Amino acid sequence: MSETRKKESFLRRAADKWQSNPLFSTGLVLALMVILQTIALGFNYPSFGAWLTGWGKNWINILRNNAGVGIVALGMTFVIISGGIDLAVGSTLVAVGAVLMVLINGNPTGILTAAGITGLPAFLIGILAAVAVGCAIGTINGFLIARSKIPAFIATLGMMKICRSVTQQFMQTVGTKVPREFLAISNTKIGGEIILPILYWLLAAVILHIISRKTPFGRHVYAIGSNERAARLSGINVERVKALVYVLSGLLVAITAVIQVARIGSMDYANAGSGYEMDAIAAVVVGGTSMSGGKGSIVGTVLGMLIIAVMNNLLNLVGVPPFLREAFKGFIVVAAVLLQKKEKVS
Amino acid sequence: MNVSMKGIVKSFGANNVLRQVDFSLHAGEICALLGENGAGKSTLMNILGGVLQADRGQIFLDGKEVVFHSPAQSLHAGIAFIHQELNLINDLPVYENMFIGREIRRFGGLIDHKEELRQTRELFSRMDIDIDPTALVSSLDASYKQIVEISRALMMRASVIIMDEPTTSLTDPEIQRVFDMLRTLKKQNVGVIFISHKLREVMEICDSYVVLRDGVAVSGGRVADTSIAQLAHDMVGHDVRTEALARSEATGEAVLRLEGLTQEPYYRDVSLTVRAGEVLGVTGLLGDGRSELFRTVFGDLIRYEGSIYWLGKPVRIRSTRQALTLGIGYLPRNRKENAIIKDMNILDNGSIVTLEKNARFGLISRKKQLEEFDRQRQELQIKMQRPEDSITSLSGGNQQKVVLAKWLSAAPRLLILDNPTQGVDVGAKEEIYDIILRLAQKGVAVVVLSNEAQEIIRVCARALVMYHGSVRAEVSGDTMNETNIMRLATGG
Repeated sequence: MSETRKKESFLRRAADKWQSNPLFSTGLVLALMVILQTIALGFNYPSFGAWLTGWGKNWINILRNNAGVGIVALGMTFVIISGGIDLAVGSTLVAVGAVLMVLINGNPTGILTAAGITGLPAFLIGILAAVAVGCAIGTINGFLIARSKIPAFIATLGMMKICRSVTQQFMQTVGTKVPREFLAISNTKIGGEIILPILYWLLAAVILHIISRKTPFGRHVYAIGSNERAARLSGINVERVKALVYVLSGLLVAITAVIQVARIGSMDYANAGSGYEMDAIAAVVVGGTSMSGGKGSIVGTVLGMLIIAVMNNLLNLVGVPPFLREAFKGFIVVAAVLLQKKEKVS
Repeated sequence: MNVSMKGIVKSFGANNVLRQVDFSLHAGEICALLGENGAGKSTLMNILGGVLQADRGQIFLDGKEVVFHSPAQSLHAGIAFIHQELNLINDLPVYENMFIGREIRRFGGLIDHKEELRQTRELFSRMDIDIDPTALVSSLDASYKQIVEISRALMMRASVIIMDEPTTSLTDPEIQRVFDMLRTLKKQNVGVIFISHKLREVMEICDSYVVLRDGVAVSGGRVADTSIAQLAHDMVGHDVRTEALARSEATGEAVLRLEGLTQEPYYRDVSLTVRAGEVLGVTGLLGDGRSELFRTVFGDLIRYEGSIYWLGKPVRIRSTRQALTLGIGYLPRNRKENAIIKDMNILDNGSIVTLEKNARFGLISRKKQLEEFDRQRQELQIKMQRPEDSITSLSGGNQQKVVLAKWLSAAPRLLILDNPTQGVDVGAKEEIYDIILRLAQKGVAVVVLSNEAQEIIRVCARALVMYHGSVRAEVSGDTMNETNIMRLATGG
């Protein structure tokens, strides 16, 4: 008797929490995914230690493979909270990668190599240029959206087409031979594993979380997404904040580009970063951020990214064919938004 | 068609909006329906238009009793109600708008554009209307839109047209254009009920009038037999001066000075001075341009001509950010749309303008933020639970106080309050008046924008009355009474 009542009240409490805190529901879904994934991975190991190593290696793989989109999704979170959208992230990634490649590649086509600058100075110049280009593309997006009042969807759709097309045209003849030393940026082993990309992701998430919660800029982004008119009438420079959000997104894409070039040692201009915009939006939405702006969190986006990543891994482990996995991704995005809707109603 | 309403009674709950109102209109007559906000004008017309049903009373059309259960029935009987928000589709041409919802169809169900166009042309020539029927509605100015809406009513064979404050958003030449249309209607024996606050226009265009006050028709008759002053008096109903609150006359330096400020079509050639420690009222009726004028001062409308002086120096205000930095605070009207950030909690709403001030090394100090907010909360006596609660959990009055708190924490030298007691209950109203006076005592220059003359009289030492974008007069002391303000605000 008392057992059932206790159960009920536990369920009720869980339901209350589910409704009041979107992170709770997201976290719960992630926990469920991790349990299923652990079961799917199996316990067919000679010892506990061996199991733990296998489990850990699987996790490192998951995290490393998703670090790139993960970082892009952090910027996307700010964009979406501000009430916008950034479709240009994937193409910005190749454009930035191309600039990096032109500067640092080891062939004579590499500008810096040709100028006799190699090694660390060349890498620094390359990275700075990459960041500058990422921010510049973000600035153009931001200007078109905030100042010229072009819908974010259209402005960034245009930028998406332009960046990839121009990059592919001009990079046909440029080699993609990245100096070996550059690869250290992503591939230096820590504790015997390549986890640097994961650490970069984590670091970026922590910094952006603090920006979103603790800085005037971060709070202004929420205010604009929730009620742009009220934000303007509170003396917030709405145009500036809106534009900065796209600059931030461009900056994070540039960082991702550097990490990925250093990780793989090359760049495929036709395919690199393609679909990143949709994957990043999916992570943001699954993480509980509202597409209409004003609501959401960096922590949610990280959890959302993990849910999608772990689910992908799970589907892989249980042998769902790759073509079908995208369907599951689509399903979970729609389901996440449906659940959030339900929260709002009740 | 002659309209006659007899003994109309209507109440909403305990609120008796109409008590035994009689109203009549003859064919070819333009009758003004006058009264303050809440006098019952809209309710009476909504009953005639079939939107509401009377609790008691009868409606006669040409002597025959009718009962309307819906706007469609009323329209069918020949009564068209043209609301303030026009009901036109901007992206369709004029002639298609004339037949929206009642399209003329050919065999097969397709719209017969040719016939629609022909009928529209015919009506326009009969009414001397100079509009291209194929023009998009969006290309017309406000007066022509008004005329299209009237024409549509005629197309539906309306013989009585009710117009709810048709001139509020029009410029003077546009008003004349609409009046010409009304005169043509008169000649065609169509009756018009003209709901308005603008007594000068009433004197110009109307034949007869009815004044409603607190749900009773207090006066009525021929316009030729009355005067603007008499009508204003009838609308307000008393000459009593609402007791003015104690206020300091002592005024310091000129904080804000405007010279010949103009932004068409909102306001023109406005000059005024606001001094430290005074409460200046600005009042008028809907469409007088006062809100737009002070949105300019706060950097929200920036295409103005003329000069703004801040503390004696000329400034060009280009953004709300700049206004905030100068030391201007602005509490907008329509709290929900313009001031409340519904996804943020009470604390964030109450401190959104001071985040930078309370940040160290770029990070907001929560402690300072909370201290600041707590100070304002006590000062303003905001009733609330936790600062982390949603802003929407508060009552209207307390939400307004949170918005006030955010501006007080910014310590502005000039605080503009647009309709500060909108949607606020009586108790909170008095508290807000109290806060306004305390601010002035501390040397803040306060501007109160309000359409309630009583409110202005209660808190302001002097007030400007605006009419149609211009400052009509300054009132203070003996000239600051409701009748006088009403007379000036209505253009008299």
